[in-house]
Amino acid sequence: MYVYRIMLLLVFGGYLLSPLLMSGWSSPGVAWYRPFVIWGILIALTLWLEQKRKLDEH
Amino acid sequence: MSTSLTSVFALGASYLLLMFLCALAVERGWIDRRITRHPAVYTLALGVYASAWAIYGSLELASRSGYGYLAYYLGVAGAFLLAPVLLVPIQRMTHTYQLSSLADLFAFRFRSRWVGTLITVISLFAVLPLLALQVQTLGDAIFLMTGAASPTLLALAFCSLIALFAMHFGARHSRPHARHDTLLAIIALSSIIKLAAMLTLGAIALFVVFDGPADLQVWLDGPGQAHQAGVIQPDSAHWRTLLLLFFAAALLMPHIFHITFAETLSRHTLLQASWSLPLFLLLLAIPVPLILWAGQRLGSDQVIGSAYLAFGLSDSFWVQALAFIAGLAATSGTMVLIALALSGMILNHVLLVAHPPEAKPNLYRWLRWLRQALIATVILGGWLFYRTVGVNHDLTTLGLAAFVGMAQCLPGLLALLYWPGANRKGMVTGLIAGTLIWLLGLWLPLLTGLSAVVLIPPGLEMLADEPDWYVVTLVSLAVNSLTFIIVSLATHTSDGERAAAEACSVDAVIRPKRLPLLAATGEEFKQPLARALGEEVAEREVARALTDLGLSPLDGRPYALRRLRDRIQANLSGLMGPSVAQDIVDRYLPYRRGGQEPTDDIHFVESRLEAYRSRLTGLARELDGLRRYHRRILTRLPVGLCAFGVDDELLMWNDALAELSGIDGTSVVGARRDGLPAPWGELLGRLLADRHDPLYKQAVELEDGTRYLTLHRAELKADGDILGGTVILIEDHSEMKWLEDELVHAARLASIGQLAAGVAHEIGNPITGISSLAQNLRYDTDDPQILETAEQIQQLTDRVSRIVSSLVGFAHGGRHVSGTGLVPVSVAAVADEALHLIRLARSGEDVRYHNHCPLEPKVIGDVQRLQQVMINLLSNARDASDPGGDIVIAAEPEGSLLKVTVTDEGHGLDARVRDHLFEPFTTTKPPGEGTGLGLPLVYSIIAEHHGRIEIESPPPGQERGTRICLWLPTERQDGEDINEPNSDR
Repeated sequence: MYVYRIMLLLVFGGYLLSPLLMSGWSSPGVAWYRPFVIWGILIALTLWLEQKRKLDEH
Repeated sequence: MSTSLTSVFALGASYLLLMFLCALAVERGWIDRRITRHPAVYTLALGVYASAWAIYGSLELASRSGYGYLAYYLGVAGAFLLAPVLLVPIQRMTHTYQLSSLADLFAFRFRSRWVGTLITVISLFAVLPLLALQVQTLGDAIFLMTGAASPTLLALAFCSLIALFAMHFGARHSRPHARHDTLLAIIALSSIIKLAAMLTLGAIALFVVFDGPADLQVWLDGPGQAHQAGVIQPDSAHWRTLLLLFFAAALLMPHIFHITFAETLSRHTLLQASWSLPLFLLLLAIPVPLILWAGQRLGSDQVIGSAYLAFGLSDSFWVQALAFIAGLAATSGTMVLIALALSGMILNHVLLVAHPPEAKPNLYRWLRWLRQALIATVILGGWLFYRTVGVNHDLTTLGLAAFVGMAQCLPGLLALLYWPGANRKGMVTGLIAGTLIWLLGLWLPLLTGLSAVVLIPPGLEMLADEPDWYVVTLVSLAVNSLTFIIVSLATHTSDGERAAAEACSVDAVIRPKRLPLLAATGEEFKQPLARALGEEVAEREVARALTDLGLSPLDGRPYALRRLRDRIQANLSGLMGPSVAQDIVDRYLPYRRGGQEPTDDIHFVESRLEAYRSRLTGLARELDGLRRYHRRILTRLPVGLCAFGVDDELLMWNDALAELSGIDGTSVVGARRDGLPAPWGELLGRLLADRHDPLYKQAVELEDGTRYLTLHRAELKADGDILGGTVILIEDHSEMKWLEDELVHAARLASIGQLAAGVAHEIGNPITGISSLAQNLRYDTDDPQILETAEQIQQLTDRVSRIVSSLVGFAHGGRHVSGTGLVPVSVAAVADEALHLIRLARSGEDVRYHNHCPLEPKVIGDVQRLQQVMINLLSNARDASDPGGDIVIAAEPEGSLLKVTVTDEGHGLDARVRDHLFEPFTTTKPPGEGTGLGLPLVYSIIAEHHGRIEIESPPPGQERGTRICLWLPTERQDGEDINEPNSDR
């Protein structure tokens, strides 16, 4: 359950900060794939939390 | 753009044929179930969320709002990231109560069939633009590829094919919750196809149109800047509102709800989707800007609409075919699932509510037929909406109208999970208010082309310049939520709603009451149910519920009957929706009213708590740990314990009592006291009837014989929230009773032992006299018959002397009193002598004795005591034998021992008695005929001879009878003195 709180925090924080994602659209010098890299990192974090939750439940 | 209509139709038909073959392969079992039920298949099926919007609509949105298009993907990714706290509780509810749609869930929680109908109508209104969007992309794609004058007719043809497909594979089971492996597989396949097509299109854009990522970056930093001038990035508020809309869509859209909850394989697969679905969406989202930028570089955006830039990547038929197939895969999957989900909602919450199926013959087929008709109607309705309304609007407008409409159910859904105080009146009022604002602001303008009517509340005038979708979303959701909260707080909540709120709430445990049912067994459920469902369906539903719960049809426990009723209601809910299901069980399986005030069903509450353990945190988890610990103490208590509620329903039956009674706790907990198996019902009833005294050492006949039980009771007084009842302790005093009896017996024998010395002395004198007289008789006569008689008299007087001596010896602790040493003894001679003596007795005259002992080897022993052993064994064998039976004495050497056996063909020994035969006072003979001292004496004598004894009953090779085996040494033991002093001396 403590993992769930981290997830809640992650989602709420992500919701508040998500407008920053859009700032890179075709801005000179900003890699076009930046939002996707951030998104990928979030997925990896979720996967890690999911594994942690599984361990907690066992 | 000169592809022929036939080619496009063939392309589409080939795709649908592939789907058909996939469905066939799954149905026929050609594909291993491990594959079809793999969590990855479920994740891919969830990819149905990526409808035509993801393929074409996202391009349109990206061309206007840049990365704003990502809101469509990130909203749903956020919802799945919260799977453990948001989706899993809903999945648990839908699974437990067999709820297959949002309308089912709302009707169940707010205890009203009209709530279900309202949700269904709103869903229908909201989904129509989304359906139209799917058909529109299909028509536009065909037009782009062929330039055909009437793509709408081709779109209609495709819609018809999709409808046939959905009717055939999606509605074959009348029960929506029946596992649709086929459906999951085909939706997963369509997701794979659209993902593969999009990735290929993205790769073409990146590596064919551009010369790799570096070239793209150069273009973006240079000439591409001019193309981005028209992009208006949504501000933070717009972006967050978009995220909220798509977040809500993941929970509320009928097709997403259906695939997420009604088709879910397990909680584990749902949790796995929390990262795997966002990964799928990430892969699907990456090609979108690539295709857009490639189209802009090629100048296609000036020729075709930005939504369909993928068609402009190349003039190659195959590139366009990829763009078409990606769209068709997304469209067909979405349309099939929307049709399935909506048809179920309309059936359960409109048609069946209006016309309940009163004992409809062949109910299952009737429901299936209705469902199939509704599927066709929904899909053709979507085409009609596209034909009349959709063609006048772009994809973004249609999509947003749908998503804002469905978002009106979000406050209700969140309250359902997290606010038990919410009630029906509040939810309905808020929902209607929000929906009216949406209808006036977005839906009617869509239909009529008139400008939106948006009522902006005073103080929020700054919203006047904002886009309609944004203002309508904010105002409708705000009014909806506020009205909901205010009305809920201001109005009364019914008991039914409170109970349902507990069942739905994340932090509460459902606390049903212990109400008795009119029916006495599961079997008795069938008749009343048949009046509503028809005999065949009633039988099948009762049998199914019994199988689900693993109960017997004759189980009459009130607890089991309540669970059976709940299960039938849940199963009927899966068949006909919760409203109709509740009506049926309330009407035909009623509770018995009157009597005592019902109390909480704590056994059920406890079983729910066991299931909820992983959801508890902090103090609740600590308290639950303590509860478990105390329960374990009671369960593992080495004394029998049971507890009854005030209504005499059994609440606990611990392990010790289960072992004592031979009755498993799970089979009796929840039964009424008078329904317990004999003798427990009567015994416990006696204790409960007697208000004061415990019952001491009650003789109770159990499976393993008579037991003596002492029962104590304690009253549990009800106090506020604390439930009342009675707790009973049951102690097994059988051992103590046995010991008491043995003590009395031993005391009696001890007194006999004390008398024995005196008796021996008194008997000794006359015996000596008799012996002397017999000896004299031998000298006074030459008559051989008299001489033999005199000899026998002497032998018998010797025997009497030895017996008396042995009795005294046993009474003095079992030590022999003979002073003779150990000498080589012939077992054959000992056996002959014993047989000779034993034949003197009148009983057992018709038993045949056979002495097969060889003369050699001899054993080292005391002749008299070995004879005593043999006489005891032979007399036991004789007593056990039937008339005409054979008793065989045999011997054979085994190393330094001689194995002597006495075998009879008698009734044999019970296994339980056999283990105690060498203990004093153990006898198989009727009372008065055996002292239980013979074999202990034999054991004692054999032990003195350094031998051993065993019993075989029945002996190997015989069906009945007993064999006593003795092993006696044939050689002198080390240190053994032939004149070993008597320890008694």
